[in-house]
Amino acid sequence: MTHDKRLGKTRFAALVTTLVLALTFLFPTGAFALTTNKATARPNEKGGSGVIGGLDTRLTWEGTVEGGEQVSSIVLTLPGNGSFDGASTKITALEGLSRANVEGEATAAGNTLTVDFSEPVSEGLLLRLEVEGMRFPSEGGDIVVSGTYVNQSGEQQLADSKPIKTIANTALQQMVAALDASPAVEAWNSNPFLGMFFKPQLMLTALFSLVPGWLLCLMIVVIAYPFAIILGLIFALMKISKHPLLRGIAIVYINILRGTPLFLQIYIMFFGLPMMNINIDNNVLGVIVIAINASAYLAEIFRAGIQSIPQGQYEAASSLGMSYFQTMFSIILPQTVRRVIPTVTSDFITSYKDTSLLSSVGVMELMMFSKNLTSVSGNMTPYVAAAIFYLVVTLPLIKVVTIVENRMAHAERGGGHRPKAKTAAAQGDSQDESSAAGTAVHAEALEPEASTMGSALTSLSPATAQEV
Amino acid sequence: MKDMTRRSFIATSSAAAAMMLAACGGSKSSDNSEAPAVEAADGEYTLVEAGKLTCISNLYFPPFESMDEKTGEPVGFDIDMSKSLAEHLGLEANWLASQAFDSLVPTIKAGGTADVAIAGMTITDARKAEVDMSDPYVDSNQSLVTKVGSEETLDSLNAAEKKIAVQAGTTGADWAAENLPDATIVPLDDIISAMNGVLTGSYDGLVTDLPVSSYQIKNSFTELQIIEEIPTGEQYGIAISKDNPGLTAAINQALADMADDGSMAEIQVKWFGAEL
Repeated sequence: MTHDKRLGKTRFAALVTTLVLALTFLFPTGAFALTTNKATARPNEKGGSGVIGGLDTRLTWEGTVEGGEQVSSIVLTLPGNGSFDGASTKITALEGLSRANVEGEATAAGNTLTVDFSEPVSEGLLLRLEVEGMRFPSEGGDIVVSGTYVNQSGEQQLADSKPIKTIANTALQQMVAALDASPAVEAWNSNPFLGMFFKPQLMLTALFSLVPGWLLCLMIVVIAYPFAIILGLIFALMKISKHPLLRGIAIVYINILRGTPLFLQIYIMFFGLPMMNINIDNNVLGVIVIAINASAYLAEIFRAGIQSIPQGQYEAASSLGMSYFQTMFSIILPQTVRRVIPTVTSDFITSYKDTSLLSSVGVMELMMFSKNLTSVSGNMTPYVAAAIFYLVVTLPLIKVVTIVENRMAHAERGGGHRPKAKTAAAQGDSQDESSAAGTAVHAEALEPEASTMGSALTSLSPATAQEV
Repeated sequence: MKDMTRRSFIATSSAAAAMMLAACGGSKSSDNSEAPAVEAADGEYTLVEAGKLTCISNLYFPPFESMDEKTGEPVGFDIDMSKSLAEHLGLEANWLASQAFDSLVPTIKAGGTADVAIAGMTITDARKAEVDMSDPYVDSNQSLVTKVGSEETLDSLNAAEKKIAVQAGTTGADWAAENLPDATIVPLDDIISAMNGVLTGSYDGLVTDLPVSSYQIKNSFTELQIIEEIPTGEQYGIAISKDNPGLTAAINQALADMADDGSMAEIQVKWFGAEL
C-alpha cells in the first residue's frame, strides 16, 4: 500500500521534472527571469467570501527571481478602472522560508504600481508584494494582474497572473457604502459603545449573512425535538416502571446526561465517534447530540408530569377494566401532556439556544457565522445581530408559555372553556394522536380535548402547575 | 417559620447583592484613581498593576504559549521572552488566564485588563489600525497540514466540499480565505481543536503558523503532516494599547537590548533548538 503510494509519488515527481525540463527548453531562460507565482486577493465581502470590485482590499502578488537574474523594479498593472491609489505596499523577500533583507519603494499611479528596489533583488529569492487598500475594477469579473519588470538587460514583460475572481458591487454593499457616507452614522459610531455593539453597517450585513446560520439552528432543533420527545417518553416510562433493570438503565442514562455539560457531550460525540471510524455528517451529528441531551431533561419532565396525576385515577381506570397501557395512553398521558406543555416549551427554548455550542466543533450555525464576522471585523455587532435572531424565536415562545400557564391556572380554579359539540370529534382524533403528541404546536391543538378530560378527572384532587 | 426563612433569605441575598454592587463600584473607582498614580511613579507609561507587566494570550499555541500539563502554568517561548522582557524593564511578568485569540486585540484596545498581548501575533496593517505593535521579535511562515495518508494537495483542497480548519482572527485564517476561496473555512477558537478535528477527520486540513505545526507534529500530533510550507515572511510583534506609546517605546528598546545581550538568542535556542 505505502509502497504503491511512494511509487506513485516518484512517478509523479519524475513527470514533473520532465515537464519542467521540457518547458525550460521551450522557453529559454530570460524569457521569464521573474516568474509570477500567484496573485490573490483578500475577500472583502462583509459576511461573505467574495472579492468585490471597487472596494478596498489587499492584493498579494508573488514572484520568484530565476537563476542568473537580478530584478531592480516591478510594475503591476490592473485592467479597467482598478486602482492602486492610496494603497500601502509591504515588500517581503524570502529565501526558502527565511526572510531576506530587501528594501524598496512603491509608487501608485492609477491602475499601475511601481516598486523600485534600492538594490537589485538577486536570484532565487521569492518576492511578496502585499498591496493593502487597492481596488479591483468595479464591474467585477476575472481579473488578471499583468505588468513589467526591469532586469539587467532592460524592461521585460511579466507573465500574467492566474485570473482572480471578483464580483461587481452588490445592492447590499451599496447600502453599506451609503451608511458609510452618512454623517449621522459616523456620529453614532463615534460613541465607543454604540460603535462596538450597534454599528449600523455591520448590523445590516450581519442580518443578511446570518440567515443561513439561523435556519440551520432552527432546522437542527426542529428535527431533534420530536426524537427527543419520543426518547424522553420512553425513558420516563422506564424510570417509573416496576422492572429494576429498566429503571436502572433509565436512571443511569438520565443522570449521566443531566449531570454532564452539553459542551462535553458535544466534544465526545464530535471527536470520539470519528475515532471509532463512525463518520456522520456534522449537521446530523448536531441533531443527534441535541436530541439525546434534550431527551434526558424531557424524561424527567414527563416523569414528574406522570407522577403528578393522582393515584385515584389509576384506581378509577382499573375499576373500569382498563389495562395498564390503556390507562397510560388514554387517561394519564393526555393529562400529562397538558401539564408539561409550559415546561417542555421552556426546554425547547433551552435546546434552541444550546445549538450555539455546536459552533465550537465547526457546525456552521448562527454563532459560528457571527463569530466569523466578529473575528474579521473586530466588532461585536454581529453578536448583537445573532441575539436578535435568537430572540425572534424565543420571545414568542416565552409568550406562549405565559398564556398557556395562565389558562391552566384559570382552568384549575374551575374556569376555562368547555367545548360542546366538538368534544366527540376531538376525542376520536386523540386516540391515534396521543402517542405522537408532544411538540408544543401539536399539544396546543389537543388542548380542548385534554382540558375536558383534565377537568373531569382532576376534580378529585386539584393539582397545580407548579407541581410539575 | 417557612415564611420567616424565605424572608430572611431574601433579606440576606439582597444585602449580599448590594454589597457586591458596592464592591464592583469600589474596585472600579479605585482602578481609576490608581492608574494615574502608577503613571506618575514611572514617569513614562501606565501599567494595569504597578510593578508588573500584565500579559494576555491564547494559551493553546505551543511552542509559543501553552499550559503546563501538570501545573497549568503558562509555558512557552513567548512566556520566557515576556519574563526576560519584564526583567529588562525592571518589572515582573504576570500572565492572566487564556482567552480567545480574536478577543486579544479588542481587550488591549479597550484597556484596563492587561498591558500587552504576546500571542505569536503577526504584525499586520489591520491590527496596527487598532493597537500599536512592537518591533518584530520572531519570523514566521504558514503551513498547510493534513492527516498522514491523506492524498490532498493545495489544489484538491480548494473545493466546496472540503473543510479547512483555522484559528479565528489569525493570518492563517486570512491565508486560507484568500488562497482556498472555494473551500469551506471553519474558524475555531484554538489551533489544538483544529488539529484534533483534522486527526478525527472532521476537517480535511488546517492552516496555521509553521513553527506551531512543526512543533506539534514533532511532539504530539505525529499522525499529522505538513503538505505545504508557505513562505509568507510574516513577523510576530507584541500588541500594546495606542494610549500607551511610552510602553511601546520601552518594549522596543528592551527587545533591542535582548537581541544585543544574547538573551533572545538563548530563548530561541531553548525552544527551537537554534537561533532563528
